Amino acid sequence: MRRLRTAFQVLVVAAVAVTGVRHALGWSMTTIEKYCPFGGLETAYALVTRQKFTCAAGELNLALFLALILLTLLARKAFCGWVCPLGAVLEWWGRLGRRWLRFSSFDGWWRPSDRTRKVLQTVLRSVVLAAVLAATWATGELVFRGYDPYYILFSAHGHDVMFWSYFILGGLLALGLAMPMAWCKYLCPLGAALWPASKPGLLRLRRSPDHCTECGACDDACPQSLPVSSVMEVRSGECTLCFECTAACPVAGALELRAPGGKP
Amino acid sequence: MRVPPWTVPLLVLLCAALGLAGARFLVRPSVVLDLAQAPSDADLRTTVLVVGGLFCVDTAERAAGQLDGLPGVVRFTAYASRNRAEVLYDPAVATAETIRKAIEGPVYDKETGEFLFGLYRVVEADGVKYSAP
Repeated sequence: MRRLRTAFQVLVVAAVAVTGVRHALGWSMTTIEKYCPFGGLETAYALVTRQKFTCAAGELNLALFLALILLTLLARKAFCGWVCPLGAVLEWWGRLGRRWLRFSSFDGWWRPSDRTRKVLQTVLRSVVLAAVLAATWATGELVFRGYDPYYILFSAHGHDVMFWSYFILGGLLALGLAMPMAWCKYLCPLGAALWPASKPGLLRLRRSPDHCTECGACDDACPQSLPVSSVMEVRSGECTLCFECTAACPVAGALELRAPGGKP
Repeated sequence: MRVPPWTVPLLVLLCAALGLAGARFLVRPSVVLDLAQAPSDADLRTTVLVVGGLFCVDTAERAAGQLDGLPGVVRFTAYASRNRAEVLYDPAVATAETIRKAIEGPVYDKETGEFLFGLYRVVEADGVKYSAP
């Protein structure tokens, strides 16, 4: 499953990078924004109030956002772990940071309590989401572009990317070394928008106390730093169903994917 | 109920396909501009253009401005996310070629008072490709 997920990530990253470069070179009119589901959320207000899309956002953004909500209701934040190209790059970067700086887990240099992490995630990401949506809806422009690490990274110096945009990207990469996947965990506005759909998500990982040795390997392997070994079921809205925990688990059958209903 | 792990990538693919296929049901124009009243007996035609440089609401409105005052042009409809414009015109007065040339012509920038050249390029008209974007 790890190889399959990596293949998904590599394919998406390559496709987005090629799209960005082709557009920058003038070989194609397709921009990387065209397939961004967050654009669907950004344009939703304009569509409801003015029956028009915002700026360069269009029907594909909206359709992909609606499909993403459906996916999240079924498989939690599988998008983040399997599809998001920025999430993939930051995960690979975070792994590099873990190896270089010899961190035992994806927490990095700072290991907050579960409660502190939840509060920080909720507050910081909600603030970013509210600011982006308020600015977009007030101006009718995709004002987040110049600050959006996804756009800065993959657009090959696209429209609205300024020199200071690279400082933002550089800062996030530096932060991502010390605190792997800090953007995804604490700042991503799409992550905040998906949380209400992800929390009641249908699929979840269940830990079998009969098999589990409580070695904690799953906790260290989780890119989202979830305390897998201390819960019976991973019901967190942050779980990306990446199966890193099941791959790290030394006992077969200790962690399994479950859906409600049927035999326990 | 136990679920095989491959369910997750399968759901990802299904939802991606659903999103890509479902977009066609959500198509809305970015700009619709009625430029002139058509004569009641006119046999109007539509030319469908794919325009390089038309990628957002602002650029679509500016492209519509290129046709403002062009005789025979009745309505301009733009789909910015698809770089697409549909122009309703009276073939007795205007031609698809004059519309194409008007869109590609110099654009007057109200803020600077200058003319901007090469802002728009029609890369496809009614299914016929003209040039690379």
